[in-house]
Amino acid sequence: MSQYKIIFTGPVGAGKTTAINSISDLPPIKTDASASDMTRYRKSSTTVAMDYGIMNLPGGEKLHLYGTPGQERFDFMWDILVTGGIGLVLLLDNTRADPFQDMRFFLDTFEKFIADTTVAIGITQMDMSGKPTIEDYHIQLQGLGLKPPVFAVDARVKNDVSLLIQALLYSLDPGLEGDNEQ
Amino acid sequence: MDKNRSPLKVALHGMDERSYKMMAMYLQGPCRGAAVVVSEQNAECDIFDGDSVNGQKFLTEYLQKESHRPIIVLSLNDQKLENVLPVKKPVKTDDMLMVLAKAKELLSANTKQTMSQTVPLASRSATPTTDIAENIIQPLEDGQKLKIFINTDEQKKTSKHQAAMQLNEKGFSAFIGSVSGIDVNNPKQFDKAHYNPREYFQGYVDSAFKVSRAKGQVRQLNSGWSPLIIFPQSDEVWLDVDESQLRAFSGLVINNTLGSKMSITPLSLEVSSMDRALERFYSMDAFLWKVACWASKGRYPITIDINQPVYLKQWPNFTRLLVTPHAMRIAALLIQSPRTLSNVAEVLNLKPQYVFVFISAACSLGLVGQTRRVADVLVQPSEIKSNKNQGLLSRILSVLRGKKA
Repeated sequence: MSQYKIIFTGPVGAGKTTAINSISDLPPIKTDASASDMTRYRKSSTTVAMDYGIMNLPGGEKLHLYGTPGQERFDFMWDILVTGGIGLVLLLDNTRADPFQDMRFFLDTFEKFIADTTVAIGITQMDMSGKPTIEDYHIQLQGLGLKPPVFAVDARVKNDVSLLIQALLYSLDPGLEGDNEQ
Repeated sequence: MDKNRSPLKVALHGMDERSYKMMAMYLQGPCRGAAVVVSEQNAECDIFDGDSVNGQKFLTEYLQKESHRPIIVLSLNDQKLENVLPVKKPVKTDDMLMVLAKAKELLSANTKQTMSQTVPLASRSATPTTDIAENIIQPLEDGQKLKIFINTDEQKKTSKHQAAMQLNEKGFSAFIGSVSGIDVNNPKQFDKAHYNPREYFQGYVDSAFKVSRAKGQVRQLNSGWSPLIIFPQSDEVWLDVDESQLRAFSGLVINNTLGSKMSITPLSLEVSSMDRALERFYSMDAFLWKVACWASKGRYPITIDINQPVYLKQWPNFTRLLVTPHAMRIAALLIQSPRTLSNVAEVLNLKPQYVFVFISAACSLGLVGQTRRVADVLVQPSEIKSNKNQGLLSRILSVLRGKKA
């Protein structure tokens, strides 16, 4: 069975772990978990080194949710991580000194993956810092020739994370039909 | 890299627990056979995280000690230090293997040079070995995080920061309403399926927002109903009514009845600073968007030419707005290329009312543009390219939409 995955990236503290936790059907496996020795020598142990969750889909399929380590950590896994990914969720912490620099860094780093798939951007901590605004992010993105969804996101709120992923999916295919009829 | 050769023994410095584990696993995985992590005393080479506070500190100390070991520094920035082998982040396996091979060559050359001198590495004053336990209690951030003084009042403005409400088709008529005497979904009646925002509360709110923003002043919109207070600096409004009352009021044509009572007055600092119910604060955009939906009732604004393609300048901030049925699909389509409203409905196989109400709301925030070129009408794309994983994406969507908090 194919392995489908969505990648969550962004700087440390942007809410990747929390966002994955919000929509995962299993408690996410965190790197911070203490029991790492047992997986240390197995190939699959690499998943322990990052945040990870699963969404169960109809028919027994699973969507894997991977969170990359933050910008200041080791990012050598990123190339491996994105292989086969459906799309990228970029979370940015609005209280950081220069969230635009963070945004440019991640967009640049994942440039090829984004070109092959798509990206949706969630701005976290906006209730603590209202500036820059969502509009400010769009202006920056226009300069980069991009028009991705940019939403204010509380990573703890399932609905916020869900809407961001929905936007990611519709960006890939606006013809997708959800269950709007319900 | 000759994997049969003995792996280079490396010590890791300036890494917290997570980074340390990841690096160790990385060297065991993609770089297997090229290097192995050992204690600092037994190491032949030292690897530093050049971007962490600890890493920089240890590196500076280390460079002062004239070590004979090769030094590798991993960093987001270009490292131009002497006698240092840089590896730029994100670390690529090929880069890492190449640097490890170079380190081994340097080690071999250094060993030959110093054979006669026999300076035992272990005897020099030791740089602190990376201590996982120690790193756990040290700050993980490198000072980039700003000090934020949390405004608890701001967090209590629940209406302002609440998650979006996502409407489905069944809830549309009850929540948005409908217009009698016209079938907005009948293409033959499209020419009549519009409304003029200026005749509704929407138009007055829009004008008041513009004045308030232009003047940078707290203003009050008086309507003979409940006053709307506008705070342009914080991008919020305050209105002390229930949503059902606001919905009903927003759906009324009021220019002929209350129009003469409408006024916008500046508020003094004293009045504008009064304590108010925090849960009655709304974001200006979310407020206007919702008021526009209620005025629209499934019609499009008269400012839009139904025969000309429209485009979306940017995605609406859907997590803080009322999400009308299919709004995301419509947004995703119109962000790609201009289309007429009827074309959007046709391509997405939707009732036109869902396109009209979305356009009304998006227009209220200035997110919609309209092309005026004949060519845009002529070359309007009729179909959309399906994603190869459409089935999978649809299944994910259905799960997400069933997972509302």
